Amino acid sequence: MDTERKLKQWQQAELIDQGTAERILAFEKHQPAPKKLPLLLMIGLIFFALAVFSFIAANWQSIPDIAKVLLMLSLMWLFYTIAYFSEKKAFGYPLLFRVIGLAMFGATLLTVAQTFHFPLANSVLPWAMFLAALAHYFYWRHLIYSLIGFFFGGSVLMSFLPNIGWVEWGIFIAVTFGWFYFSKNFASTAFSWILLFASGFMLWGLVDYDSVLWPIWTLFALVSLLFIAPENKQQMIRPLYLMTAGILLVVYLAIRGQTFISIIDESHWLEAIALAIVAVGVLLISYFKFRSLMWIAIPGVIGLLLFDETAIGLAVVAELSGLAYLIIAQQQNEKLGLGFVYFIIVQFVIYIIYAWERLDMSLFFLIGAILLFLLSGAAWWINRRKEGVKP
Amino acid sequence: MKAWLLPIIQTVFIVVLLVSYYAATWFGEQYILRAEPLDPFDPFYGEYVMLQYPDLQSPSITDDSSIYFTLKTGEDGYAILDRVETNPFFGAIEGYVYDSRVTAPQLEQFYVEQGQGPQLEEIRDLQVTIDVSSWGIIRPISLEERIE
Repeated sequence: MDTERKLKQWQQAELIDQGTAERILAFEKHQPAPKKLPLLLMIGLIFFALAVFSFIAANWQSIPDIAKVLLMLSLMWLFYTIAYFSEKKAFGYPLLFRVIGLAMFGATLLTVAQTFHFPLANSVLPWAMFLAALAHYFYWRHLIYSLIGFFFGGSVLMSFLPNIGWVEWGIFIAVTFGWFYFSKNFASTAFSWILLFASGFMLWGLVDYDSVLWPIWTLFALVSLLFIAPENKQQMIRPLYLMTAGILLVVYLAIRGQTFISIIDESHWLEAIALAIVAVGVLLISYFKFRSLMWIAIPGVIGLLLFDETAIGLAVVAELSGLAYLIIAQQQNEKLGLGFVYFIIVQFVIYIIYAWERLDMSLFFLIGAILLFLLSGAAWWINRRKEGVKP
Repeated sequence: MKAWLLPIIQTVFIVVLLVSYYAATWFGEQYILRAEPLDPFDPFYGEYVMLQYPDLQSPSITDDSSIYFTLKTGEDGYAILDRVETNPFFGAIEGYVYDSRVTAPQLEQFYVEQGQGPQLEEIRDLQVTIDVSSWGIIRPISLEERIE
């Protein structure tokens, strides 16, 4: 026996005495033996399940419509029932069974869709799964349900295209806002926030006015969430705002610098000015209320800077904001990781925009490698200083 | 009891979905449409036949826009357009016009048994039987070869 061998070793190494070893052995002997399913039974069950599924699959077309749906529905009930008893009697994995139950609900919907020839663009299926996953999340509060909810929330948004309506969009925002408001952990809060941000992209389909700045407007609109979020949730979502602002700046810089299509014209002046004014408002609000988020006002100048075809203004803003963030974060002894990632990405985007066509390929990579090396060196040096090592 | 609430709601949802389609058969009218196939495949839904309807042609609205229409059975027994409007009205099927051809999302594809798609595509002359409720819901019933 393994325990006996181990105890003998410990005794020889004089870690435990004879009496202790005997007491441990006596205790172990009284423990109930772990229940194991016989191997043959397990193999038999797998084969049986396979046979049942093959039989159903082979006769699928001749099964009446209603029976197909009821079959899937009964599988859903089977797994929810197993989950219930597995939780009550403490065996197996209730979470796994419940997730399979939810998946079977999805499978039932797919069966209904196939049986009744749903159009592919129909949003009933993703909506039903999104709401079911959220209901599961609020009842059982597990990460896996928020993941499923996030996936199907994204599917709902995709299913809106190309003919999106204000009502369905409004309902989606209301539901996702509810999810955000009542979420307690980071994953769930972040997922709902990302979906709220993504729903802003739908404005491209909803509004006739052709704007390239909807994502920035959406980010500014999401500032209102900070007023209703309690202090701990504000801390939770703070990196999301900063990351999104950084990503927006880099994406607009890359688009403006790399594409030659006119993405903005004279008709957008008013919008660009309005965005800059709102950005000042966001700056003031964040200065008085959430000072660490003042950075998110920076994308407000993107509208005006997009008129410059060389993208130099955008590059300067991205570069200076990255640098300033790092310096201030270091002075305030805050984490530098995200700031550094942003700073390095900005360097590379600028490098690709301005150097790609002007350099020989080998020279391009050589300078790129030196740039990366210098940046890594700077990161290492700052971290070393932060840890208190005197140079 | 609370643990059973979600599966119960999910079941009710499925039942409502089913009833809404069966209601088209119970309370609606049946039409047979002339159809022509295309043949794509969807990894989630399986094999289906994309359909277009030569008899459903809109003389007045030809641009790519939403329309509302009803059907009636023509003299040859196949369905043709009855009333076509650009605004919704009770009993109308919501669809759209593409190159003056009229279709509705639920008429666009018909799921078929694996491997049957190419066969139906070869036949080309098909007919679709549908049930249409008086409130505009369509339940496709069958897709078969058309013999005229």
